[in-house]
Amino acid sequence: MITFEAVTKRYPGGTVAVDRLSLEVPTGEITVFVGPSGCGKTTSLRMINRMIDPTEGRVLIDGRDVREIDPPTLRRGIGYVIQHGGLFPHRRIVDNIATVPYLLGWDKKKARGRARELMERVGLDGELADRYPFQLSGGQQQRVGVARALAADPPVLLMDEPFSAVDPVVRASLQDELLRLQAELRKTIVFVTHDIDEAIKLGDRVAVLRVGGHLAQHATPPELLAAPADDFVRAFLGRDRGIRLLSFLPARDLLLRRDLIVPEGGRAPEGADWVVVVDEERRPIGWRAAWNGHLTGFGTYRPEHDSLRAALDAALLSPCGAAIAVDDEGRAEGVVTRDVLDVALVRAAADAYSEGGHTGEEAAREAG
Amino acid sequence: MSSSEPLIRWSWIGRNWPMIWDLLVDNAIMALLPALFGLILALPIGLACARWRFLYQPTFGVMNVVYSLPSLAVFIVLIPITGLAERATVIIPLTFYALAVLIPAVVDGLTSVPDHVRQAADAMGFRPLRRLIQVELPIAVPVVLAGLRVATVSSISLVSVGALIGRGGLGGLFITGWQLRFPTPIIVGIVLVVLLAVVADGLLVLAQRLLTPWARARSAG
Repeated sequence: MITFEAVTKRYPGGTVAVDRLSLEVPTGEITVFVGPSGCGKTTSLRMINRMIDPTEGRVLIDGRDVREIDPPTLRRGIGYVIQHGGLFPHRRIVDNIATVPYLLGWDKKKARGRARELMERVGLDGELADRYPFQLSGGQQQRVGVARALAADPPVLLMDEPFSAVDPVVRASLQDELLRLQAELRKTIVFVTHDIDEAIKLGDRVAVLRVGGHLAQHATPPELLAAPADDFVRAFLGRDRGIRLLSFLPARDLLLRRDLIVPEGGRAPEGADWVVVVDEERRPIGWRAAWNGHLTGFGTYRPEHDSLRAALDAALLSPCGAAIAVDDEGRAEGVVTRDVLDVALVRAAADAYSEGGHTGEEAAREAG
Repeated sequence: MSSSEPLIRWSWIGRNWPMIWDLLVDNAIMALLPALFGLILALPIGLACARWRFLYQPTFGVMNVVYSLPSLAVFIVLIPITGLAERATVIIPLTFYALAVLIPAVVDGLTSVPDHVRQAADAMGFRPLRRLIQVELPIAVPVVLAGLRVATVSSISLVSVGALIGRGGLGGLFITGWQLRFPTPIIVGIVLVVLLAVVADGLLVLAQRLLTPWARARSAG
């Protein structure tokens, strides 16, 4: 666990970068520091590995004040990923990754073996091992940066806007990769970003900081979306908070109607205006209207993996507002009708407010 | 020069080849040692200037003034100390000229290290000396070598001026040719100076390719 105890960073001239920050970063979780530029998020991050020392207050790792530890020694035990990769241009990829093992005095063979193992782990082709950084794409360089940070298997990982310099598609895949890695490795990760969507996607907990280094709110993403602490956080979270909140709710429990799925030419059940027509493999072909038999487009979601948001999205893509549930092979499992979806959405909203500890008055203001 | 005299008299070259060869070697030594000494001195001075930036402007100013001194004047001033027609009389001023090129090259090389690379090195847990040796100096190599190429080539041609005080390597051939109104030695001198410069430069380029494959590939890509 990393603990900030009333940490203040004041620069000569009086600028306050961080103002009495107190928070706990739980072991084995991703905590995201997010906020606009000038909010002190990077400064806070760097006080953990003593790239910056606080003016007042203490930063503790597992109860030990980091100021008691000599910086190079401290840093060799903390992985660090920087925005532009910070890769050493003159070293081959394998040696870039083995940087900290070399510093720790591992022999070359063991360090390189470890580096190759990590390349595989972060999804890098082993053939890239002997290349130089400039020969890699931005996304690949960031993967190398992550592998390098993990090389000596540090319990703590600091990530300073690591994915902000790559294009959105690559960024999304790097984020997914990080979550996949974290599911295996369970590191204590502090992740800095200015992108609230990234914070909400990656964070087990999110600390929203405002300019001047004040902690505005420290909460889980659903809590944050459901109950922003103040107008600043609300504005920073942006639009569609309700819809985004649905991403955290599983679609697994939605009641499915199987009778609305019919083969081509099959009869619709009594009273059904719309049915899903499927092929021999049970893959959906389209929605069929009872009155003219025409087929129209549809949306699907996977109940085992997707969120309520995906189910709602699938419903909005169909002419009758119902979503088709499919398995991993794309075979239709059933249909979620609008009534079922409505009930689930209402319950989601109610739960969010009770979890977020909102008063009825605030809830009313939210709604308005 | 009489009009009947051919531009090149090959027989003269054949007869005097041992003397020409000695001058060539002498020229090479008097040119390359200053470049080498310059590099050895420029490294600590450049490091100090990069570390304490306030030193850089004064150092750069002094080296610029030194560079502006006419070489012949410096040779003459040195004669009472190091002696007439001695190698040292030529090597010392040329070392200063090399320094004037190499100190800025070392400083520029070190400042060419991207900030995020330096920060990453700190964050990985490098101590300052190790960071300098394993990260900053290797990344500075292409810029320093570019400076060394300039220093070496200009040093090779500057040696000729030493001929006026009796120790100018291939420059001696220019004096001979002029005194005898005989073009062959002059042409031989020019060709060999240029050849020497091209070979030395080529070797440095080769060294750069071997030392910094990562930089070569960067400019190609």
